[in-house]
Amino acid sequence: MIKISNLSKEFGKLAVLKDINFTVEKGEIIVIIGPSGTGKSTLLRCLNYLETPTTGKIQIGNVDIDAVNHKQKEVTALRQQSSFVFQNYSLFANKTAIQNVAESLITVWKTPTSEALKIAKEILVKVGLADKLDAYPSRLSGGQQQRVGIARAMAAKGEVILFDEPTSALDPEWVDEVLAVMKQLAVERQTMIVVTHEMQFAKEVADRVIFMEDGYIVEQGTPQQIFEQPQNERTKSFVKRALKQH
Amino acid sequence: MQNSFDFQYVFELLPTLFRYLGVTMEMALWGFVFALILALGLALVRVFKIPVIQHLAALFISFFRGTPLLVQLFLLYYGLPQISPLFLMDAFTAAVLGLTLHFAAYMAESIRAAILGIDKSQMEACLSIGMTRLQAMKRVILPQASRVATPSLMNYFIDMIKSTSLAFTLGVAEIMAKAQMEASSSFKFFESFLAVAVIYWIIVLFFTRIQHLLEYKLNEAY
Amino acid sequence: MNKFLKKTLIAITAISSLLTVPAFAQETVKVGMSGRYFPFTFQKNDVLQGFEVDVWNEIAKRSDYKVEFVTATFSGLFGMLEAGHIDTISNQITITEARTAKYAFSTPYVIDGVQITVRRGRDDIQSFEDLKGKKVAVNLGSNFEETLRKYDTKNEINIVTYDSGLEQDVALGRADAFIMDRVSSVQLIKKAGLPLQLAGKPFEKIENAMPFLNSAKQLKLRDQVDKALASMRADGKLTEISNKWFDTDITQ
Repeated sequence: MIKISNLSKEFGKLAVLKDINFTVEKGEIIVIIGPSGTGKSTLLRCLNYLETPTTGKIQIGNVDIDAVNHKQKEVTALRQQSSFVFQNYSLFANKTAIQNVAESLITVWKTPTSEALKIAKEILVKVGLADKLDAYPSRLSGGQQQRVGIARAMAAKGEVILFDEPTSALDPEWVDEVLAVMKQLAVERQTMIVVTHEMQFAKEVADRVIFMEDGYIVEQGTPQQIFEQPQNERTKSFVKRALKQH
Repeated sequence: MQNSFDFQYVFELLPTLFRYLGVTMEMALWGFVFALILALGLALVRVFKIPVIQHLAALFISFFRGTPLLVQLFLLYYGLPQISPLFLMDAFTAAVLGLTLHFAAYMAESIRAAILGIDKSQMEACLSIGMTRLQAMKRVILPQASRVATPSLMNYFIDMIKSTSLAFTLGVAEIMAKAQMEASSSFKFFESFLAVAVIYWIIVLFFTRIQHLLEYKLNEAY
Repeated sequence: MNKFLKKTLIAITAISSLLTVPAFAQETVKVGMSGRYFPFTFQKNDVLQGFEVDVWNEIAKRSDYKVEFVTATFSGLFGMLEAGHIDTISNQITITEARTAKYAFSTPYVIDGVQITVRRGRDDIQSFEDLKGKKVAVNLGSNFEETLRKYDTKNEINIVTYDSGLEQDVALGRADAFIMDRVSSVQLIKKAGLPLQLAGKPFEKIENAMPFLNSAKQLKLRDQVDKALASMRADGKLTEISNKWFDTDITQ
């Protein structure tokens, strides 16, 4: 359902992504791990065209886009196939929780407002924010904000939700409630690509773990393969260090 | 000076001047509405970096910020009709147009700054759920930017009220012109100009109060 | 067919306007004045009045024109004339060589002389010679600046231009003297209640008239005005208006 071919991204002379290739099946949960600054977030942002890749093709659902020769229409169409959960939540500051969630339905999918609000309410109830529907982001805790962020991504009708380190900006006390929501989504077989440092989450939830370093995909496999029998030396040393910390 | 200050004259003059306050306020209000529309257009053209037009917008802003309002008014009213009679407009229209162009240039920069001041992540969040840039601007960026820009836009409005006094140079019968004319027959210059100053002051105080109420309300929202 | 229809419509409109306009629409003359030049044109309690206003109301009566007064600062009046915002200026415009080259003047309706005015009690200034090294005020855009410069070939006079309120500055001592026509100087001193006095005799005869643009349409208007002025002069109306405002005949 998702196919990434020969994807690369350069910032000036700095190559951040080098020849990335992978596919994701519908309902698959992918976790991308690796040291900081190795292009994980950039990869995710390229999938949403928040960064324009230098070369390569991205196919999500029925949208196919080539970095070298793309039209703005294709970019918008691609973005409608996916949604994004940001590290810093990035909720619309001028909208309440329920308005944040309903926005894509109203503006992008032209759902009648009353129906959009109904759907938004259901999603917010599901992520445990039934009592915060009309709260502005500034009145919510980090954990609550990120749950609204996930709810917003869920409402956007995308094939896949992209999570860019969704718990890194959170105080430790809020991490679990956000992970719980993500686990619930995994149970429902929502296609997800997650960049995270939460190794425990990767172990428990991922169907496949991708290890990235220096802009390359070094190794990928089941959590068991990556965490217990890594083949590559670099994977080995990273996993060893990462598991020790957590 | 053997002339002593004639307090009573000030009070006698006030009702006469107040009769022309409508002209002053009409100029300011029309000027502000049109300037706001034009400024928004200019700001968006520059924010979206629309080819060619953005450079024209930058040139427009540079010119109207870089030259005095009085000069612009003279160009519009005395200058343009010499190029073609098509540009012949009455003094009130020329004054409103001059105020519009002049203040639009300033307000465009203030709106643009407010838009650019909104965190980049707000736009990204809009794009990430499939909105177009224009939708994002309308639904998320501009509502937030308007809150940021309101105090400075209100300041421009107050500035505009005071700037309408320049319209007397085109012969618009507004409060400044009336004060000057009354003064030239009564020879009570100090009293006349004091009266007109007091009127401007009262009006500005009134709108400053509204400005504060508005800012309070906007800050309450979220 | 369409074209024909259009042409017919245009023709009908043109003909009907030719027929109807002279029948009931009086032509309007827009007369520019400062409204700040007592007692020629000034405003009191929101009523525009003065010598110029009376003269024009009479011209309108005799020539079947409708007159509309447009007030603007003096310095803006010629710009408005050039731009076509007004048809003429009635503000004691003096006929000068430079202006005659550019505009078509009506026959003079006020005859006057150039007058120096100083602060009361000052007797060091009596003639033009005494102005050397002094600060002399003139109205911005008026012809007195030009008059002064003509005499002041060596640039010895410090000429300051004012948009309004020059009498104030002379009374305050900010300027040594102001130059204006004699008639308005007398009026200013009388009405302003400021400590001012005429200095010496007036020099140079000046004639004031109304300037029009040199176009066929405006020249026609000018001729109409001349006709009206001549009849007003003949039957004494002009003198009557002058006496009303000045207690003397300034039109001869």
